[in-house]
Amino acid sequence: MKKINRRDFLRSSSAAAAAATFASTPGLAYSQGIGTAAPFDDYRALVCVFLHGGNDSFNMLVPNTTAEYNVYAASRQNLAVTRQDLLPINPRSQTPGTAPFGLHPSMGGIQTLFEAGNAAFVANLGPLVEPTTKTQYQQKSVLLPSQLFSHNDQQSQWHSLKGAGTSKTGWAGRIADLIRTNVAGQRMATNASLNGTSLFQSAEHTIAYVMGQSGPLQFEGFSDDPDNILYDQKLAFQRIVAAQYSSIYERGFAEIQRRAIDSADTVAAAIASAPVMTTVFPNSQLGRQLETVARLIGSRDQLQMQRQIFFVGIGGFDSHDDQNQNQPGLLAGVSEAMAAFYAATVEIGAADSVTAFTQSDFGRTLTSNGDGTDHAWGGNQLVVGGAVNGQDIYGTYPVLQIGGEDDVGGGRMIPTTSADQYAATLARWFGIPDVDLDIVAPHIDNFVQRDLGFMV
Amino acid sequence: MKTRLLSLLISLLVGLAGCGGSSGGNNEPPPPPPPPPPITKAEAFQFLNQSTFGATDAEAQRVINLRYEAWIDDQLQKPASLQLPHIQSLPLPPFMGQLQADRVDIWFRNALHGDDQLRQRVAFALSEIMVVSQIGVLNNRPYSLASYYDMLAENAFGNYRDLIEAVTLHPAMGVYLSMLGNEKPDVENNIRPDENYARELMQLFSIGLVELNQDGSVKLDDRGQPIPTYDQETIEAFAHVYTGWTYAGSPVFREARPTLTNQVIPMQLWPSFHDTGPKTLLNGFVIPAGQMGMQDLADALDNIFNHPNVGPFIAIRLIQRLVTSNPSPGYVSRVAGVFNDNGFGVRGDLGAVVKAILLDDEAQPGVRMDLDGKVKEPLLRLTQLWRVYNATSQSGRYPLNFAYIVFGQGPLQASHVFNFFSPFYAPPGEISDGNLVAPELEISTEYLNTFVTNYMFYQTFALNSTNTQLNEDDVFINFESELALANDVDMLIDSVAGKLLAGQISDTLRNETAGMLALIPDTEAALRVAETIYLIVTSPEYAYQR
Repeated sequence: MKKINRRDFLRSSSAAAAAATFASTPGLAYSQGIGTAAPFDDYRALVCVFLHGGNDSFNMLVPNTTAEYNVYAASRQNLAVTRQDLLPINPRSQTPGTAPFGLHPSMGGIQTLFEAGNAAFVANLGPLVEPTTKTQYQQKSVLLPSQLFSHNDQQSQWHSLKGAGTSKTGWAGRIADLIRTNVAGQRMATNASLNGTSLFQSAEHTIAYVMGQSGPLQFEGFSDDPDNILYDQKLAFQRIVAAQYSSIYERGFAEIQRRAIDSADTVAAAIASAPVMTTVFPNSQLGRQLETVARLIGSRDQLQMQRQIFFVGIGGFDSHDDQNQNQPGLLAGVSEAMAAFYAATVEIGAADSVTAFTQSDFGRTLTSNGDGTDHAWGGNQLVVGGAVNGQDIYGTYPVLQIGGEDDVGGGRMIPTTSADQYAATLARWFGIPDVDLDIVAPHIDNFVQRDLGFMV
Repeated sequence: MKTRLLSLLISLLVGLAGCGGSSGGNNEPPPPPPPPPPITKAEAFQFLNQSTFGATDAEAQRVINLRYEAWIDDQLQKPASLQLPHIQSLPLPPFMGQLQADRVDIWFRNALHGDDQLRQRVAFALSEIMVVSQIGVLNNRPYSLASYYDMLAENAFGNYRDLIEAVTLHPAMGVYLSMLGNEKPDVENNIRPDENYARELMQLFSIGLVELNQDGSVKLDDRGQPIPTYDQETIEAFAHVYTGWTYAGSPVFREARPTLTNQVIPMQLWPSFHDTGPKTLLNGFVIPAGQMGMQDLADALDNIFNHPNVGPFIAIRLIQRLVTSNPSPGYVSRVAGVFNDNGFGVRGDLGAVVKAILLDDEAQPGVRMDLDGKVKEPLLRLTQLWRVYNATSQSGRYPLNFAYIVFGQGPLQASHVFNFFSPFYAPPGEISDGNLVAPELEISTEYLNTFVTNYMFYQTFALNSTNTQLNEDDVFINFESELALANDVDMLIDSVAGKLLAGQISDTLRNETAGMLALIPDTEAALRVAETIYLIVTSPEYAYQR
């Protein structure tokens, strides 16, 4: 009998011997849907920063010519950002020195990145099935994404690009499926979330790994030292969750437990042994999530990773109330965390290999409900990274006029560029060949521009 | 109910035999129907895990004695255990948010010890449908949240129409979904009514996005497409209805401030801030111009209440919270039928709906094999353990304000109005492939499952009655009764599995537990008991609500 005492049970076991065994992503039938991507000889990562609730992004990226600012201010009334407070930016493709756009005053970090060429915006993006004009919208003569203006449905749209139909997979999940034979040697799943389960990463053949904002938790009751009884406890636990169960609910639960045990040690050890970074991240939820992502990217060689898609996110953007009070802090949080993340990727030598991009439920109404805004459709998104063709605004910035050509009512902008085009552009950079882009972005063939040009 | 079918069958057979043998036509009264077979402990446990915060031997015996219907009828009469009086009895801390821990404490006390178990369980289900939360704008309003929860408990067996009116006018909801302070349009300044509550009341609390048949299936138009229940114009019309309401007794409408009093009573109408234009609601119903706000509200809630979707919508939501993730169309239809008419011509009788849910055949064991039941909500895995092993703390408190962090859920602690998990969530693999759902698995991530497993590790090995070094707020389980059995492997496992699994323990779990017990010396009785409980409460079979 092993020598044991209470301390063995009560002391939390450290991640000491993580080198033990590694079980890769659960084996699934790899028979269909393998993409045509060539083997990878480099590392690339996409980092989706999801702004839950619907970011009022027409206050994030604001027109700054006199005529266009005046239209903006007339529409936004008490919610308009004061013009002299805007942080001027100078897109490369426009007349130098004119600063035809400005950023929300809380986004100094992004202003710096933009002007240095490491950040870009894509204007008035949103889910679309096909190009849509106001007349077509009103006459219902084009297919529209289902359940516009509803939070969870529009989040699902961004995640899945399902358009007018339904989808059980997300576009990151489909990318992971397409490249799964190319990255069979990876010691972590291609998709990892630090912000819970998301449709974005759901797939048919691969499974996303969900960790906390600081990485995975260790199992406190397990040890990898065969002389410790907690080693036996771990084995017993593993055999229990590996058993056959008659109910789909037991099987579903047990499978997650198996994945948790299989991955926790590997991932935690990789994070623990990541190169030391001097970059200081803001002490916020988004800051901590992006710091963990940076650590994992720092350990990409140890984990034998070639392609990774991370999902991070924060809430609070559903500004029906008190928008003027809350928006500065929200946007400052995004700016500071994403700027720190970019700096960290520079520090770990991965700036050109990592692209962070925002998504959000929808843009918000240009009109006010008194002290806030309601659910709308198109909005502006931000892309940051060394591989971004930065210092420019892609797509078509809409006319911010109530009742204007882009407004379907109340200042809800019809997207002038589709989320499919955004995803396809990022997927192409990630290594998905053109022929497979319609698997990632199912409606891409409905749009002329398959690549918006914001990636190198 | 299976037993009812069986007794019907038996009485028919008896009747036939009687006919065959009584051609002489005597007038003897028919024999009384045989008594239904006794309820087994396993059946009682299954029933109680659907209807309480965790089956215990004592309550199972009551169910066996009373039988299901009488047990439910008894529960329907129990008054609500409340939260607000407790919160109001406490001294005011420097920061109101500190009372959230006390709100969670009183939630656990009621969930663990309240004798209105069914009411509390249904209130918890309702709190996951008509969501308000401590996370966000209500962080400093524990009074308001406690009051909101009490309102759910008090209306749990009442009429759904009354419930949605109480929800609509509660200032916690008013703040959470920004109806409080919502005012009529100001065209000149591009200001229009707030659409937040208008949208979510319909999408999440009552009818959902698409038209449903009574059995919960989606109605399709002649092109095979789902039929939206409303459009953006409908939402805007309802948004105009919900104008003019703010804290009761506030001296001003704009910038009205919460007080300890006004955050626990229904909001009040300010007619001058209410929009009096005409409003076209669901199914073309028009509210005429010039009505008072109170009449507008009554008409709008009637309009929603009478939508045919409400029955199947609420049936599915409540069945999923109480009994099974994937009810059959027949089950949904039967429960929705009771919602539509409780048998006495009344629509929306929630007590009758709850009774119909729990007494349905499909809530009984073994009807549909592997589709039966659901994943147990993580918080209910904890409350069941705590009820079985009389968990308490030296202070008598259960201040687990961090519940949502460890378990992914806590009382009124969702991170948004969409609850901790979606009713439509289907994890990849056989559940998604089979067009089934398992909502609770959305928060059973690798991360959260590990968190719960670790909590159970501390709960069993450290936070137990044999530990002499506990802090006063540490909630510990009391397993003194098992210590005497600790050296008999079979008796120990039988005892623990009997209490937690109604004795339905798999061979694997029994063998693995026995294997671990073989490694722990007889002198370590507490460790042996802790090990046994730990392996059972972290097992897939315990996480499964049959």
